[in-house]
This record gives sequence, structure tokens and C-alpha cells, in this order.
Amino acid sequence: MGGLSLNIMKNIYLVPLILTIFSLSVIAIALQLDTSPEMIVGESMQARSFPIFLMILKLILIGVMTYQFYKNNPKPVTLEKYHTWGSMFLFLLFYLLTVYTDMFIGIFVVIFLMSILWGERRIWVAFLTATVTPGLVFLLFDYVLKIRFPRGILMNLYYG
Amino acid sequence: MFEQAISAMASVVVDPYLLGLIFATTILGVIIGVLPGLGATTGAALLLPFTLTMDPVHAIAVLATIYVSATFAGSITAILINTPGTSAAAATTFDGYPLAQKGEAGRALGIAVISSTVGGIFSVIILCFAAPLLARVAYEFRSPEYFALTVFGLSMLASISAGGAVKNLIGGIFGVWLSTIGAERVTGIERFMFGNYELYEGLHFVPIFIGLFAISELLVQSKTVNKIINTVTMKAVKLPTIDDYKKIWKTILRSCGIGTFIGVLPAEGATVASMIGYSEARRWSKNKKEFGKGAIEGIAGAEAANNAATGGAMVPTMVLGIPGSGTTAIILVGLMVHGLRPGVYLFTEQVEKVYQIFGSMFVANVMFMLMGLYAAKLFARVSLVPTQILWPIVFALSVIGAYAFQGQLLDVWLALIFGVIGYFARRHGFSVAPIAVGLILGEMVETNLQHSLKMFDGAWWMILAQPLALMFLVFAFLGLCGPMIYSWITKQKD
Repeated sequence: MGGLSLNIMKNIYLVPLILTIFSLSVIAIALQLDTSPEMIVGESMQARSFPIFLMILKLILIGVMTYQFYKNNPKPVTLEKYHTWGSMFLFLLFYLLTVYTDMFIGIFVVIFLMSILWGERRIWVAFLTATVTPGLVFLLFDYVLKIRFPRGILMNLYYG
Repeated sequence: MFEQAISAMASVVVDPYLLGLIFATTILGVIIGVLPGLGATTGAALLLPFTLTMDPVHAIAVLATIYVSATFAGSITAILINTPGTSAAAATTFDGYPLAQKGEAGRALGIAVISSTVGGIFSVIILCFAAPLLARVAYEFRSPEYFALTVFGLSMLASISAGGAVKNLIGGIFGVWLSTIGAERVTGIERFMFGNYELYEGLHFVPIFIGLFAISELLVQSKTVNKIINTVTMKAVKLPTIDDYKKIWKTILRSCGIGTFIGVLPAEGATVASMIGYSEARRWSKNKKEFGKGAIEGIAGAEAANNAATGGAMVPTMVLGIPGSGTTAIILVGLMVHGLRPGVYLFTEQVEKVYQIFGSMFVANVMFMLMGLYAAKLFARVSLVPTQILWPIVFALSVIGAYAFQGQLLDVWLALIFGVIGYFARRHGFSVAPIAVGLILGEMVETNLQHSLKMFDGAWWMILAQPLALMFLVFAFLGLCGPMIYSWITKQKD
């Protein structure tokens, strides 16, 4: 093991470690679940048994996967371009805008910024996409499918 | 029964609204298929919310049409720009693009269109006959058999093409675990809800699928920004000549059989079918050296198999409620949402609807053939839509689609969260399809295991005493351990 560099160790153990922590956390939470009286469950399973069984099965498979990684060193995962991280950040921005302003303002801002982030140089094209898309989608869902959208600045104006 | 089936199928042709819907959806399906990244599964996930207000037959016809037309359309970009529009068309690039580079793009597309249509229609015919027969067998199933069958379905995840066997099984188990979130069905005990009562009835499939397939694909596509695409010019699609037909008819027939069979297997789909169809075409060909350089048998083998898998995959979906592929997992959700309970009930109480759906698939196959022959050149241009315009639009459709399902913002957040989870899973070589299949099968596994345990007073080994259940469990074991045992035996022999 001493010969393994930090990067190789990361390649081999990072994913199994995350999955193991997840599985153990699920088991720990499942053990806290209530139990049902014998007369309801009978000879069947308690609510906690099935998730625990699944996680034990998963831990076994994680062990096999780690062995496979150890034997055949997995390919290093390439780092994301800023487009990917930026898009994830835009999801967060969408959440904030939807909660504090309006869902359609969130969609407009995200489409506009995502187009620019992904390389659209013509501002008017990004603006047009950001305006027309939510507009058409709103018309379709509101008039044709009769969906009521969550209230916000714009929807309050529309619904009154 | 036979007459009822025929008249139900024929009713599709005389229903102008349904015909118009299939026509419009075929155009949409072909567009979705030619856009790299937006495959049949993502397309169906995005369209599912739009079908909520439709009549059940129309809704499933829309989803099934997207499935067959997008599976075919992936071949257009595979041949013209060496980029498969869908993963099922990956094998088509091996010979389709080299033939196109030789200046025979029209011929390559013609062969792809004809092979896909024959494959699709063949599988629909098999579906019409096999589904009711299998439903009759399934009539005998009780909880132990259903439990064993779902275990078999989950074990087949090991052989889905993307990811490795172990990774796919881990994904499948994660999906099954997701199905345990919410109140437990027998005791009502809340599991993993963390006080969030909107999760009381469990996670709904639609937002999760939109996240796993559409949002995660968006993040994957963000890596391909500024990718330069080389296109091959084409005058028009050419129908195969008599000589071509002589060369490929055996390959098409073989691939029809392979594709339908692979499709029927739970959790297998068009991608696996096309790869096997291609490799079998090569194995049986007299001109093996031509493969990889523009062999028409290679195109025919892959295309007939991937479209044949579409009908095959509908068999376990509609009869047993076990999806045969990622897209049929979404179609299964569509069936459930519209109150069409998959299984024996569907084939005894709602036969007419079932055959109308089959009839719609048949019509969709004919429609995509016409579009492939006369408008492939036009559709190929759609693939040149800039990613910086296309994917922000997909984002809007995804979030509104996730919201529209139940009118809950929580579903939108779930779609985004599962999009990010799906992206990181794919980044590390895990496929997201096993998570989706696991989520669908999870409830079936747990409920049938509970019922079986009650039936046998806790004696779980009694499940093994049921012949059909034992057979499925043996198949599951062979599916999981067969390849390892085979390689061990081969090693010993060497």
C-alpha cells in the first residue's frame, strides 16, 4: 500500500468510502425506526428490516467493487469544466429565485444565464430563448393542461 | 378475443385524432432521437407530464410512439455525423458513418430505415401474440412467484450495457431503497421522511425520472460545450436495391429475433440488443473484413435489433409490470398514472385498450419509415441546434414538467437533486437506468416478500419450494454468477 500515490488511493477508495458512509447512515437511521406490535406484523418483516437487508447487500457489493478497483485501477475522473459547476450553481439560484420571487423569474434568469455560460455570444438570442420558452410553456400548461403554478410576484399579478 | 384484438387495432387507423397524435409525436420522437443526448428515455420523461390530461390510450400511444421513433432516429445522426442520437444507435456508427464517408449516406440511411421498420413491426406482431400468452401464465402467479420474478428482474440489471455488473446492482439496490422512503404499506411506520409529510406516500416516479434522465443529461452535456461536429452531405435517402436485400435479409431476420428476445428480458433494452445484433451480423457474415468499413449487414443487424427490442421490452412491462428498459420504465409509470394496472387484469378487463396501444405502435413504425425515407435530411439539420440553446430549454421543460405532475414545488427540488445525484453517479461510471428500474421494482419486491412470509408463517425457504419461483431464482442466480462460472471454467480448461 505504501507504493500507492494519493491520487490512485483516491481513485480506488473515494467512491466506495462515500457509498459505505451512506449505507451505514441508512442502517443507523433504520435502527431508530419504530417497531410494530407482533399482532400487526405477524411472521412478516418489521418496517426497518427490508432497508437494513438492502444496505447489507449493498455493503457486500461495495466490498466487491473496491476489490475490483484495487485489482484494475479505475480511470481517473476528469475534472468538470466550469460549465458544469456553473450549471449546478444556477440550479441553486433557481431555487432561491423561485422561493423568494417567482418560479418564472427563476426560469427566465436560469435560461438566460445558462445560454451565456454555455457559450452563446448573442445576448439577444439568449434573451429571446429565456423569454419565449417559459412564455410558451406557461401558455401550454395554463390554458391546455390547466395547471396552477405556485404563487409569486408574477403569478400574483396573473391570478390576482 | 382474436376478433376483439383485430378490431381494437384497426380502430387506431379510423381514429383521426389518435392518428394525428401519433403523426405529431413521431415527428417529435424523430427530433428527440436526432438530438444527441436527448434519447427516447429523456424524451419520454419530459413528455410524461404533458400526457397527464389525456385519455389513457392516447397517453400511452404518445409515450410508445416516442419510444419507437426516437430509437430509430438515433441512426440518422449516427450515420451522418458519427454521433449516435441515442445509445441504441451506437453500433450503427461502426458501419453507417464509414459508408456515409464513401458518399453513400443515402444508401446507409435507406438500409437503416427499412431494417428498423421491419424490426419494429416484427416485434409488435410478437408482442400481440406473446403478451396474452404470458398473461395467461402470469395468472397462476402468487406473491412468491412475483417476488422471485422481481428478484430475477433486478438480477438482470447486472448485464445492462452501461456501467459494470457490480455498479449496476449497487444502483439497482439504491433504487429499491428509494422505494422504501415514506410510510411503510403494512404498518404505516414512517421511513426516511425526516418529518416531511409530502413524502408520506413515497417518492413519485415522475420527478425522480426527470431528474435522473433529463437533468443529469443536461449536466453531462455541459461537458460537450463547443464540440465541433463534422457532417457528411447527403442528396436523398435511397431504398435498398435487390442486391442489397439479398445481402441483408437473413441478417434482418436474425436481428429481429435477437432484438425481440433481448427486449423481453427484464431490464434489458435496445442498446444491448443492437450491440448483440451487430456482433451476430458480423459473426455470420461472409465478408467479415468489410465490417467497420461500411458493411451494410452491420447497419441492418444493429438497426433491426434495436427497434425489435422496443416491442419485446413492452411484453414484461405490460404483462408483469417489470420494465424491459429505461424508456419502458417511464411507460410503466404512464400506465400506472392513468389507472391501467399492468398485469393479468389489463389483459382480461381492458383488452381493447391494450390492443389499441399495440396498434398505435404498429402505426408509429410505419410513420417513422415514411419520415425516415422522405425527411431524414431535414431532421438531420435539427441535430445542429446549438447546445447553448437546446439544453436551457430542456431545463425549463424539466422543472415545469416535474411541477405539473402534482403541483408541488418539492417535486421540482427532487428533480434537481436527483439530477445532480445522477450526474455524479454517471461521472463515476454508474448508469442511472438501474436506479430507475430499482425504484419501480422496489415496492413489488418488498410487498411480495411480506405477503410470502405471511403465507408461509415466516418460513422464507418455502418460497424455494414453489416451482415457478424456484425457476426464476435459479435464472437470477445464473444471470448473476453465470458469466463468472463460465470464465472460471474457461480458465481451468486453458
